[in-house]
Amino acid sequence: MTATMAGERYVENKLKHDVRVSNMTAAKKLADAIRTSLGPRGMDKMMVNAKNDVTISNDGATILKTMDVTHPAAKMLVELSKSQDIVAGDGTTSVAVLCGALLDKCIGLLGRGVHPTVISDAMSTACEKACEILEGMSDPVDLNDRESLIQAATTSLGSKVVAQYSSLLSPIAVDCVLRVLDQERPNMVDLRDVKIVKKVGGTMDDTELVDGIVFDQKPSKAAGGPTRVEDAKIGLVQFCISPPKTDLENNVIVSDYTQMDKILREERNHIIGIIKKIKASGCNVLLVQKSILRDAVSDLALHYLAKAKILVIRDIEREEIEFISKTLHCQPVAHVDHMTPDKLGHAALVNEKQCGNGKVVQVTGVENMGRTVSVIVRGGNQLVVEEADRSLHDALCVIRCLVQKRFLIVGGGAPEVEMSQKLGYWARTLSGMDAVAVKAFAEALEVVPYTLAENAGLNPIEIVTELRNAHVAGNVHHGINVRKGTISNMKEENVLQPLLVSTSALSLATECVRMILKIDDIVPSMR
Amino acid sequence: MRRQSDVFFGERESGQDVRQTNATAVMAVANIVKTSLGPVGLDKARMLVDDIGDVTITNDGATILKLLEIEHPAAKILVELAELQDQEVGDGTTSVVILAAELLKRANELVRNKIHPTNIIAGFRLAMRESVKYVEGKLARDVETLGKEALLQCAKTSMSSKIIGAEEDFFADLVVDACTSIKTYNDMGDVRYPIKAINILKAHGKSLKESSVLHGYALNLGRAAEGMPKLVKNAKIACIDFNLQKTKMLMGIQVLVNDPKELEKIREQEFEITANRIKMILAAGANVVLCSKGIDDMALKYFVEAGAIACRRVNRDDLRRIAKATGAQVMLSLSDMDGGETFDESMLGTAGEVVEQRVADDDMVVIKDCASTQSCTILLRGANDYMLDEIDRSVHDALCIVKRTLESGKVVAGGGAVEAALSIYLENMATTLGSREQLAIAEFANALLVIPKVLSVNAAKDSTDLVAKLRAIHHQAQSQGNEELAGMGLDLVKGELRDNIASGVLEPALSKVKSIQFATEAAITILRIDDLIQLEPEQEGQ
Repeated sequence: MTATMAGERYVENKLKHDVRVSNMTAAKKLADAIRTSLGPRGMDKMMVNAKNDVTISNDGATILKTMDVTHPAAKMLVELSKSQDIVAGDGTTSVAVLCGALLDKCIGLLGRGVHPTVISDAMSTACEKACEILEGMSDPVDLNDRESLIQAATTSLGSKVVAQYSSLLSPIAVDCVLRVLDQERPNMVDLRDVKIVKKVGGTMDDTELVDGIVFDQKPSKAAGGPTRVEDAKIGLVQFCISPPKTDLENNVIVSDYTQMDKILREERNHIIGIIKKIKASGCNVLLVQKSILRDAVSDLALHYLAKAKILVIRDIEREEIEFISKTLHCQPVAHVDHMTPDKLGHAALVNEKQCGNGKVVQVTGVENMGRTVSVIVRGGNQLVVEEADRSLHDALCVIRCLVQKRFLIVGGGAPEVEMSQKLGYWARTLSGMDAVAVKAFAEALEVVPYTLAENAGLNPIEIVTELRNAHVAGNVHHGINVRKGTISNMKEENVLQPLLVSTSALSLATECVRMILKIDDIVPSMR
Repeated sequence: MRRQSDVFFGERESGQDVRQTNATAVMAVANIVKTSLGPVGLDKARMLVDDIGDVTITNDGATILKLLEIEHPAAKILVELAELQDQEVGDGTTSVVILAAELLKRANELVRNKIHPTNIIAGFRLAMRESVKYVEGKLARDVETLGKEALLQCAKTSMSSKIIGAEEDFFADLVVDACTSIKTYNDMGDVRYPIKAINILKAHGKSLKESSVLHGYALNLGRAAEGMPKLVKNAKIACIDFNLQKTKMLMGIQVLVNDPKELEKIREQEFEITANRIKMILAAGANVVLCSKGIDDMALKYFVEAGAIACRRVNRDDLRRIAKATGAQVMLSLSDMDGGETFDESMLGTAGEVVEQRVADDDMVVIKDCASTQSCTILLRGANDYMLDEIDRSVHDALCIVKRTLESGKVVAGGGAVEAALSIYLENMATTLGSREQLAIAEFANALLVIPKVLSVNAAKDSTDLVAKLRAIHHQAQSQGNEELAGMGLDLVKGELRDNIASGVLEPALSKVKSIQFATEAAITILRIDDLIQLEPEQEGQ
């Protein structure tokens, strides 16, 4: 009896162990795959998807998203990176790498017979402690201190293809966030208030922050309408300026030839009626929402609008309406009868501008401009522009983090080494399984400086041991100086990042590991 | 090594492996276009047959690469690079591809020798910036100091490698003539040469030396009816962008007739609406009517009676350009603000004369002496379609080059002179640097030499010997500060060195600068990749 019991238990445990280890190995493999893109000297990944489209990126979240991961546990890592992207927008690679290192340690602990729940609990306390340490070494930052903000953005851009343009992009990112910041709700930054227009052509040096708004759509000038309007009064309409269509089943029946001319005349009068009302409101720039049911603006209407010297921009997406009305301080108009002067936005100039191979429309000098901002991103080819867009988004997120939690810590692996050191000491004051788990946690943290050094072409063991030395000696802010290949004080090197990025990466990674640890069986549900 | 992954559906390749495959793929692409660089060489044109059997004969780098349907993702970047150069400069597509591939090959060697890619990238960026500075500061010459002749020379240099190279004097005149005649000023008062205003027409027959520039805008179509005059002086042009056919009712409107007599009246009415429009246009004084849509045969009699030329199915882009050139307005409709229809005289454009000419088998309507801006048409003649297409591409390249030269006003010597000078300069600069980037910059300098090397190999000359001589003379030029020697380049016919500025082998400085920038950027983009993740294609039907 006891023999069979033991036998059964053995089998059962073996299964559970296998599931855990297989989950962990899969997740760890994925983390290893993106390890090389961590840090300022990280490399890019080229992904070819099923449709043969190529993406080149070194943003962790983008890589994982494109990879089409199938293993259920590995999928958690993708989700992890995604949530870091949502919370902090940056550090998506670090969070996955950290998670991988923690899992690695867990496999070791499990092998030594430590119970998963014990590891899990110890990890959670260690993480709390680590966050405290991080907060301890952080410095408060003032939003008026533009220099520090730019530094933080530069650190985030440091690892991207666009790193050489960081002196241009960082101030743009900082200005964007500061402009959309609402003084009444100082902790809220909605990045939807930043519109990024991507245009291929030119070089990245031509990327600029636009004081006003930029439209990707060209003005419709088939009928010779204006392309430049000064002292613009801008109307945003959601109705169509075209002859109304009868329903499919209905027909207009003409039985007399004299009526034929009348029908044509009627159509003209209908459109003239609409346009006269628009004109009467004083509007001279018209933004028309896209319509799929019928022509938003018919050719005939364009002709009349051109005669009335009204600049028309068609095909405004529905999602853009809110942004536009916020920026231009105008109200969307759903019916022509509601077209009144008070619904219009005012701007000094609306101008068509050559931009690479295409054209954009730029609105500048907006009166009572809302808290929004537009950026035109330029670059040599599609891939570069896409990557610049992603990088700018990361930089924006970094600044947003600083707005939400106004503390900066140093980068370059310094906080990780410091945490590892302090947690190591703390582990010694504990006893039992907890002590082992906390110690493992502390060791896992060193993966960040280790990888940084490795990616920079340095000797990782030498650098990491040197770093440990420095931190024992009390040099809290010492990290890896990737440019010079040595260790130095990161605070003096101005390598700074928001506290929120590090704390959220740490807690998300820990939670993910705890989740994976607790899975002991995979049951495929039948379809 | 490619390995199948168990975490996702697909293959993964990383580290040195992927760098090696990328470099190999890129080199393979460069090797395809390598032989078409330079003015002399055997393999001058390439015949490409695509999957539906269409034939293209060309030696234009961008065209070849576009037609090749390249699969490898890294090689695709190179194709994009050629396209970019084509858009931004219009010429130099072959050399930019060769340079990028050479940079990548050399970078790959450095990585193998345990130099970290990021150091190489930093070195390449520095070298690129220095090169651009040096070209702009030291090597470029103002066009003014070289005179009008420089424009002709630039055009000739661009054509020398093309099919029309044999007739370069003739075509250079043609191109410069066409380009200077379209000089315009934009809103900001800058001089612009809108290449788009040059209409290139192709006609079979006669030899390519019969090609000519027609001052005025030529339309590749005839009059709508024989009864119309062939020539109209003091033309008043109406540009119509709507149908002059019988007016049809809109969808959803049915005409219901009970009386057979009514039927005829309805038909008449349908036609009457259009006839009224035509009468209105003619009454305003128009004697040339260009319509982008159809004109009913029945309606033509009005034009014939009025002695006006009418053309139907005019290309919309042509219509717009003619409107711009003659000061006409493209009319989408005749409606006025009161709900009626009118046609005002102010909508008409003017031109000195409009004439129908017979060229080869086709009739052509040419609009001469346009009122406001100038436009012109280059008429190309040649034996067959393939030849005409290739001449078209070559002339387009040359036009772009002349435009760039006119707009930027700076030229540099061709024939490998710039590359050799830069190579010497960068090598000297590299030795002054004490950092890791030194090796990368030295390799960049060596990579630049690929251009003179390929040039001389294609010309069946001893490349080692020639390039060594070239380097020696540029070293002398730079160490002694002898600016006279800075223009020394290859004479590929004789296989010796000469002063290419004096002998008129010129390229716009902008083209050189851009090709160095683009090639470096492309090489860096590929160099940064250390992992290739290829996902399995989706199964059909799932």
